[in-house]
Amino acid sequence: MADTVVTHDIPSVYEPSLFGTYSKKIGMWLFLMSDSLTFGALLYAYSYGRISTAGWPTPFHSTSIVNATIMTAFLLTSSLTMVMAVRASVQKDAKMQTIWLLATIACGAGFVILHGMEWSKLIAEGLTLPMFPAVPGHEVSAEFANVAKSVPQFPSTFFTLTGMHMVHVTLGIVYLGVVALRRKFIPVLLALWLIAWLATPSYSPFHYGAHVLLVAAVVISIILWLKPKVYDSSDVEVAGLYWHFVDLVWMFIFPLVYLMSTRI
Amino acid sequence: MGADLWIISIAIFCLGALMGALNFITTTLDMRAKGMTLMRMPLTCWAWFVTAILGLLAFGVLLSAGILLLMDRNLGTSFFVPLGTVNGVLTGHKGGSPLLWQHLFWFFGHPEVYIAILPAMGLCSQLLSVFSRKPIFGYKAMVYAILAIGFLGFMVWGHHMFMSGMSPYSAFAFSIMTMGIGVPSAIKTFNWLGTLWRGKIRFSSPMLFAIGFVSLFVVGGISGPFLAQPVLDIYLHETYFVIAHFHLIMGVASIFGIFAATYYWFPKMFGRMMNEPLAKTHFWLTFIGAYAIFMPMHYYGMAGGLRRYSQGTEVGWINQLWPIQRFISIAAFVTIAAQFIFVFNLFWSMKKGKKAVDNPWEATTLEWTTATPPPHDNFGGLTPVVYNGPYEYSVPGAPRDYVMQTDAPVTARH
Amino acid sequence: MDATQIAIAERVAEEQRHHKKAQFLWVWVALLVITGIEVYLTYQNMEPIKMLTILMGLSLIKAALIIGFFMHLRYEISRMKWITMSAVVGCLILMTIFFFPDAHRIITLGVK
Repeated sequence: MADTVVTHDIPSVYEPSLFGTYSKKIGMWLFLMSDSLTFGALLYAYSYGRISTAGWPTPFHSTSIVNATIMTAFLLTSSLTMVMAVRASVQKDAKMQTIWLLATIACGAGFVILHGMEWSKLIAEGLTLPMFPAVPGHEVSAEFANVAKSVPQFPSTFFTLTGMHMVHVTLGIVYLGVVALRRKFIPVLLALWLIAWLATPSYSPFHYGAHVLLVAAVVISIILWLKPKVYDSSDVEVAGLYWHFVDLVWMFIFPLVYLMSTRI
Repeated sequence: MGADLWIISIAIFCLGALMGALNFITTTLDMRAKGMTLMRMPLTCWAWFVTAILGLLAFGVLLSAGILLLMDRNLGTSFFVPLGTVNGVLTGHKGGSPLLWQHLFWFFGHPEVYIAILPAMGLCSQLLSVFSRKPIFGYKAMVYAILAIGFLGFMVWGHHMFMSGMSPYSAFAFSIMTMGIGVPSAIKTFNWLGTLWRGKIRFSSPMLFAIGFVSLFVVGGISGPFLAQPVLDIYLHETYFVIAHFHLIMGVASIFGIFAATYYWFPKMFGRMMNEPLAKTHFWLTFIGAYAIFMPMHYYGMAGGLRRYSQGTEVGWINQLWPIQRFISIAAFVTIAAQFIFVFNLFWSMKKGKKAVDNPWEATTLEWTTATPPPHDNFGGLTPVVYNGPYEYSVPGAPRDYVMQTDAPVTARH
Repeated sequence: MDATQIAIAERVAEEQRHHKKAQFLWVWVALLVITGIEVYLTYQNMEPIKMLTILMGLSLIKAALIIGFFMHLRYEISRMKWITMSAVVGCLILMTIFFFPDAHRIITLGVK
């Protein structure tokens, strides 16, 4: 191979890429490979805990399952709108691209809100982590409290896995928002932060979790200030890869965490 | 609190290393100069490339282990806590498994060892070739050995855990694969020796450190197959033998790689040569010092000297080994003191060193084609085009004894 | 634009010809239907191991649909498909082989 003759008639600077596509996309794929191992390790930690713990509880009632199914449908639909946004961007249809991206963000936000309500309900009913503050004025269900006491592994794994996924969805929303609206997204994000912060009671984990949005707003302000640019179809496609990946991860968390712990 | 900050900084480090790895891989795949095929890359670049792949796949797992640890410490989960205390405080945590932590950590931890040593392997291969004035012996074998080490490096994390109570069947598999790593390592070692064999060796300071690296790698590596066997490891694991093995092969060997690279690329970075007599003094003191520190540790470990204990003066059999400890300590202080020669040389040469020419070592790779120190975009707006492999030394019929990678072929090559 | 960039641009354009609306809708419906089947199976009172196997099988199908169509891996060159997928799957298989025997030992032998 070292003896291959190099022809000079092509005035090219670089060798053709091994993966046959543009660098940004390769970069995102590599990131997703690493991230899938991060989630893989979390799922393995969950499975490991589940195998090594006797009497794993199955406490989820049909309300939780219905809720989680609706959340799944939201995510799947957001993936559909995302590919439509990529399609619009390839066809240079800027208006439809923005609309589809906003639809994706809306579906993602629906997922996060439903999930947040689910978390709050479970915490209030006693399926909670020791360090989450107690919810005042709410009846703790004996069944959930018992689960949290006898198998602390259950709430631990539940909140860690779904929490990590929720952070990914939230950051995905921020990412898509920047691609869709660029600089105009910063005030939107700040408004979302204020709403999420002020509308949640102080004992809720989301009261503090909302500050992720503030940090994200600061970071994207710096990025947009240092490197202002118009995002083209490759940026939309790369953002789409991330979004689909988040969707993909949920396809494993949903059956493992919810469906395998269903009260029949 | 301190430990939490430590975990958070490790998590941030994971993200940073991850982004760095993305950048290295994509750059290596996409941004090579025209004519720089993968099989014309210097071995330094190959080693960094494989290192980046290891980093990409390993740091994600450490990140999630760090997140779980942070949850255990702050949110009351118990992934890793079987029963009892966190940070000395009695808690209600129960049901976790420290073995899970060991698995997650060492899944990252073993590739990390190769993340540390592979770049040193790559650049020492390059240096041995440059200063022996010979092509590297078995370039393709070197590349495949790097890839094989990277690949096998992912399958052997369990050899850190023979004492942890994991399944003995897994231990058996890990043991076999660990000894398998000896094969590509030996390929590399013999190729290094083959490169040196009958070369016109120039004993400049980078070369001394590169040869020192080979020496340390061989000596440290020899004790690897001992530790790879669960039966022996159960005895040796808690002793200084492990410390000697690890520090010779990964600690000092990597540091020798760093020194070699610094002496080698310093002229390109700052436009001045480093002081050679000082560098040689530094080398000999460090080289002899490293052996003086770590060779006795093998003996100390085999005699039963335990690691992880701050003092063993109350224990009879360790008391008898006391002179060895004293010798090790003195050798360590002398070796540390020798490093100030390097620090002094580094800063002194930046200001007062001899002016360097563009290609002081008569090397062939791209960085030596540009001015010293390099202009703003490295090549002054002209992107080089590569025609040759990276190790064309002592080429018969060539005007000089080396052919730059950018030299257009004068005659048709075979 | 030089030859290499033109070649890549052509490949990307070739990939993007596969953005067919009908296909996306079809994949989306399939994903929703599989999710429905999963939820239905959950209430069939099966052996946990059997249910886990079926659910994971269905999830892998869903993952393949998402990766193949939504993430367009189906239309990338084969080198990219194989390298990315084999690296991740290889690491996950390694973890599977070596993590779970220990988890079993914890519950059967009582070692922590």
